[in-house]
Amino acid sequence: MDFKVLRGTLKKELLTKYRAYPMDFFIGNVLTGFYTILGAYMMYKLLFERNMNSSFANLTGTSDYLSYVLVGSLTYLFLVRTCLNVSRSLITELREGTLESLMLAPFRRVEYFLGNMLVQTLTTTMEVMISVLVAIPFGISFQYIHIGSFLLAIVVALYSFFGISMVLGCVMLFTRDTYISQNTLFAFVFLVCGITFPSEYLPAWLRTIADFIPITGVVTLIRNSVLLGKGISEQSTIWINTLLISTVYVLIGFILMQKCEEVALEKIHS
Amino acid sequence: MIIAEHLAKNFQVKVGKGIFREKKSIEAVKDISLQIEKGKIVGLLGINGAGKTTTIKMLTTLLAPSAGTYFMDDMDAVKYPMEIKKRINMIAGGERMIYWRLTAYENLWYYGQIYNVPNSILKQRIEELLALVGLEGKQNIPVETFSKGMKQRLQIARGLINDPEYLFLDEPTIGLDAVVSKELRSHIKFLAQEKNKGILLTSHYMREIEELCDYIYILNDGCLIKQGTARELAADTFNRRNYILKLYEQSDDILARLDHNLRQYDPTTEVSGDGDCISINSSENISLELSRLCTQEGLFIREMYEKEPELEDTIIKLSKEVSA
Repeated sequence: MDFKVLRGTLKKELLTKYRAYPMDFFIGNVLTGFYTILGAYMMYKLLFERNMNSSFANLTGTSDYLSYVLVGSLTYLFLVRTCLNVSRSLITELREGTLESLMLAPFRRVEYFLGNMLVQTLTTTMEVMISVLVAIPFGISFQYIHIGSFLLAIVVALYSFFGISMVLGCVMLFTRDTYISQNTLFAFVFLVCGITFPSEYLPAWLRTIADFIPITGVVTLIRNSVLLGKGISEQSTIWINTLLISTVYVLIGFILMQKCEEVALEKIHS
Repeated sequence: MIIAEHLAKNFQVKVGKGIFREKKSIEAVKDISLQIEKGKIVGLLGINGAGKTTTIKMLTTLLAPSAGTYFMDDMDAVKYPMEIKKRINMIAGGERMIYWRLTAYENLWYYGQIYNVPNSILKQRIEELLALVGLEGKQNIPVETFSKGMKQRLQIARGLINDPEYLFLDEPTIGLDAVVSKELRSHIKFLAQEKNKGILLTSHYMREIEELCDYIYILNDGCLIKQGTARELAADTFNRRNYILKLYEQSDDILARLDHNLRQYDPTTEVSGDGDCISINSSENISLELSRLCTQEGLFIREMYEKEPELEDTIIKLSKEVSA
């Protein structure tokens, strides 16, 4: 692997972010985390507290809906932040007039996207950590957390987010759209991947679709590690499934990206 | 050496309005063959949407040709674009291709990284390039505060960051002031003559092309219509001679007499007055007859010379011919 491209992209993105969006952007993102937590808390207090069906506990292994929804919301926040940066990287280059000079250079795309991913992982980790601190007074519980399993779940989550970002990036570059594609995807993920309620409540056909989105597995893995204290071996099937589905996304993303780059450059000139 | 033969490029575009738009194929480049030797500067001129930019994009591997072959030093450029990218670079006019949030130094450093320039030489190269384009004192200022000319100068430095063997220059002096343009032109010459780089240049400034280019290709409507040196192109396009005559005394009567007498040597001769100049256009070499006629008529010659057609005249004439 060529670490020069990764390092260069990391530095370029950090400098650009720092200069383009100073402190207020960071504060804005932290506030988004706060509002997400507040929304989840109010949903719990106003709708579900003392109204939880026993099937919820049977399906999730916990009756602590508040922690369930907070972990789901924070994972979703991490997904949105990471995917946005990576998937929009090339279309941003296109809009800023640097896509051609970038495409002229003989570098492999994987390091470029990883550099972008790393920047967003660093900034989002800080934002989510602050959000987690904010979530503690609201009642999130970490008493059963399995640290090893949780850390592995984070690595798998990043891999999965990377795969989804690549596919989303292809759609964005092909259609030259960011808002419709990203918002459609995120709304769909929010509804079907078990962010605020178990996907088992969904109709069978929608559940099948959810199973082919790695976020469903990622959210389950993180919840199982944080809320239920499940270890790595106890969740082996979910690990393997999530990794396999994520790999499919990564491969599709890289195969399509080459084609989408060609299409984007042709569209500029035609 | 770059050898491109019968390059063509078709684009699929959607025409009309609404969701169900019709697809249409456009031939941006129909048939272009050209060669670029190392150490030479080749000009690419075009008349109204001729396909210059599309040709450059194909030669820089940004666009894949729809047909034709393209070899760079015997390597198939269509088949191995990544290898070709290592040996080329492009400088386009305008303010694109650089990151506005970064400083000049950071821009060049980043491009150095993605071109895999060894860090041991990158710092020195950046400093040399910044000095070349006159930005050495501005290297730590974000590009967004630069003037248009400064951005263009930085773009030139970016295009040289990988020390390319072949350089594609698409209107490189647009937006530059006269001093920097002149320096850049001498550097382009230096790159070709001393560093043995093959250069393809497009420009709207005909004098720039005339001054720099060893060979020129003229495109129209996606096809190559003329090629040669500036002198060859002019000779090929203009089969008539132009003389400029300046006399100490000039009147309509003198013009009429000259016109009448010169038509005896060449019936197609045209004589016209323009300020203190008399312009004579003939299909024959009539310089001797003209000076003899002036002596016979008692006209005192202040200045007389044959005006060689400039590249601009060639392009204007060709443009008129193709649109006729």
